[in-house]
Amino acid sequence: MDFFDCNAAYGVPSVPPFKPATAVEDLLEEMAWCGIARALVRHAALDNESPQTGNRVVVEETAPHASLHPTWAILPTQTGELGALEEFLAAMREAGVRALWAFPSKHRYTLDAVTCGDVLSALSERRIPLFIQRGETSRGLTGWELAGALLKEFPSLVLVVTGHGSWGEDRYFRPLVEAYEGLHVDTSRYELDGGIVDFCRKYGPGRLLFGSAFPNTSPGGAMLTLAHADISDEDRLLIAAGNLDRLLAEAQP
Amino acid sequence: MTNDSPLVAEFFATGKAADCPVIDCHAHYGPFQAIYFPKVTPEAMIDSRDRAGVRCVICSGHAALVDPARGNAEMADVVRRFPERFRAYMALNPNYPDNLREELARFDELGGFVGLKFLSDYHRYPITGEAYTPAYEFAQERELPILMHTWGGSAYDSPQQVAEVASRYPTIPILMGHSGHGDWEGAMRTALDHPRVYLELCAAYAVHGVVETFCQRVGSERVLFGTDLPWFDPHYGIGCVLQSRITDQDRHNILHRNAEGLFAGKLP
Repeated sequence: MDFFDCNAAYGVPSVPPFKPATAVEDLLEEMAWCGIARALVRHAALDNESPQTGNRVVVEETAPHASLHPTWAILPTQTGELGALEEFLAAMREAGVRALWAFPSKHRYTLDAVTCGDVLSALSERRIPLFIQRGETSRGLTGWELAGALLKEFPSLVLVVTGHGSWGEDRYFRPLVEAYEGLHVDTSRYELDGGIVDFCRKYGPGRLLFGSAFPNTSPGGAMLTLAHADISDEDRLLIAAGNLDRLLAEAQP
Repeated sequence: MTNDSPLVAEFFATGKAADCPVIDCHAHYGPFQAIYFPKVTPEAMIDSRDRAGVRCVICSGHAALVDPARGNAEMADVVRRFPERFRAYMALNPNYPDNLREELARFDELGGFVGLKFLSDYHRYPITGEAYTPAYEFAQERELPILMHTWGGSAYDSPQQVAEVASRYPTIPILMGHSGHGDWEGAMRTALDHPRVYLELCAAYAVHGVVETFCQRVGSERVLFGTDLPWFDPHYGIGCVLQSRITDQDRHNILHRNAEGLFAGKLP
């Protein structure tokens, strides 16, 4: 099966995970070991150092590897650190970046219409997926509440929430799935027994993206869970890779 | 896939492996307040297990973790209805010491129990506390395994507190549920210092590198598999074990052989 990991990272974070993947080779080695064909990748510098550094390094280091697809982080445009919005989008096009992350907690800004309205409007119009970790906080909101507030302001935003907790969170995210067609969830910690099957029966496979959360999490769990979920092979392939392929193809930086 | 283990290949191809009948040493039963379970009935749990080649689960009822008097009887009834697939831990709540003694007194009468289960973090009562003494004495007398929820940094069931209990009751097999999640060094130290303490992997398996480090530093003979079912898909935990950098011998030890030895004669 063609696994396209939507949630992989490498680099040197200030606080390392139990078994770090400091170099791009570490990520590639793990992908080969597990049988993950492709990955959407962020560099630890993105949130641990600065977006300027992380955005640059990930492009440089993934360039030789066709299986790796770099991602960047956004910042508010008011400070101009990543250039004007059009310059930023042009740089994305040139670098082949088709998905972005927001780290409002670590980068200390408010992820809302006042602060990021121009960026989030552009992402909505251009169908560029925005990834956010469930633990991120902004405007006093965390996780699903933040996702809900963001989607209320930008209902056509393609938003991917990653790493939802191992305590099932279906009561939180299913209402958002029903309300906003752009909400997607990665499967890195969707460990709930029967969760993928139950979700697909109700909502179809289109909102789930295979993710590993490597190097924090062992990819094997999410892989075997999806590989043998009681769903059709067609749905399985969409979650494993097809949905992410579609989202990236629709993105127009 | 450069992981060329035949066992891994079989699990990924078929979802199970004929010569690896998994034993889940850490499971539950029944609904729980904080989570939606799509597969909560015994029949649904059996379906999940069959898909993953899990031969037997050892459960504590969620109800029993709150109200043992009602919940343990409910759990025992599940074992009676499905004797080939379920065994149980008797759950005890130390906040009700009288009830704790009453539950122990009907351990044999209820039937189906192969060990005790403590959930001290949730009960907010330390595993070193006096109220547990009758349970420790009961387990010591019978060499009965105790599955303890353990968590790094906990004031109630940290690896260091497990070490204290293990020093006091060295013959009781203690399963460190979740392997003292987060305090991996502490958990390994406790297991190394106390030969009857086991590292139980539920939730711990997800942390990249933990399984192989346990095998390298403590030995796969001291590692047990558990899933918290109906919380976590058995394939999730199995997949984490399979893709760890360990041998197939280690995988067999973790997924079934160690439990077969620990619960010898007590499993279907």
